[in-house]
Amino acid sequence: MNIQDCINETHWQCDTPSLDLNKKISGAYVGDLLSWVMGRGNAGNAWITVQVHVNVLAVAVLREFSCVIVADNAAVTEEFIHKAAEEGLVILESKIPSYETAVKLHELGI
Amino acid sequence: MYYDLHIHSCLSPCADDDMTPNNICNMAYLKGLDVIAITDHNSCLNLPAFDLCAKNVGIKLLYGCELQTIEEVHVLGLFQTLAEAMSMQIWIDHKLRNTEFDPAYFGNELQRNEKDEVILELKNLLIISLDATIEETIDAIHLHHGAAILAHAVGRTNSICMQLGFIPKDLKYDAIEVKKKEDMSYIKKTHPWISDENTLWLMNSDAHRLVDISEKTHFISEEMLGKLWLHKV
Repeated sequence: MNIQDCINETHWQCDTPSLDLNKKISGAYVGDLLSWVMGRGNAGNAWITVQVHVNVLAVAVLREFSCVIVADNAAVTEEFIHKAAEEGLVILESKIPSYETAVKLHELGI
Repeated sequence: MYYDLHIHSCLSPCADDDMTPNNICNMAYLKGLDVIAITDHNSCLNLPAFDLCAKNVGIKLLYGCELQTIEEVHVLGLFQTLAEAMSMQIWIDHKLRNTEFDPAYFGNELQRNEKDEVILELKNLLIISLDATIEETIDAIHLHHGAAILAHAVGRTNSICMQLGFIPKDLKYDAIEVKKKEDMSYIKKTHPWISDENTLWLMNSDAHRLVDISEKTHFISEEMLGKLWLHKV
């Protein structure tokens, strides 16, 4: 499934609509401790987190995640979205808790 | 000057109840320290008592607090005057959510006077995150003329490297606190833009018990210490 399909199914908000949404999502990783995530998760994963510090973007690029899904209404800043767009990193907001976000992805076959 | 700039008093729930103003100031004096800072979790409320005690004992006091940001990173705010720290307290009050707690589990939060008498037992938990990002917290410290220090920067809990993976390049901190020399090497190795030339390193005890207060081990010149506040607004 690619990011656009995921948005179509979930209606999650996409903060970076100008980016390529045809990237494939292969699996997902959940975590908020950046030092932890830095050494884990696989390329192509969707990363579900409530951490919205800009360091998230560096970690996501490093791990070659397909997108970041901000869960649970964590407060995303304009700076965060702006920098994500610069890095070519897609940001979605599920507005539901991390667990429910992960379950939804599972239901979609991810 | 021999220093220990990260000491918790009995106001921090996780610190011993006998971390009183007189006990800490006298212990630091006996150990031969020249300057100490009291840095309770998200609070400056014990600083007025420490101000009087430190003056009585004849030891230099810096007025501090250990703030927990929304990313759960610990940052020390160190102020040169009691007034600056107490005005920082007003900012903290705005940013700290009221959370009731069980002292039997978390420990007591005791505000004491200069005679070590308990004048208030706080009812809201201090060891939670403020509603402020690390950048907002550092800006607030600077706005109140304080110095911002990344506490136990590579520690396993509540350190910037653990919570945020690495130290952001444009973060406006004034010093980095480490537990040991190897931590400095680790930071320099993993952050090529951080060097001894552009960084003030501090090694403090983070004492929660009297016995853990630093010995006469870590030295800083008065001139170097003064550099902590060069970035103030």
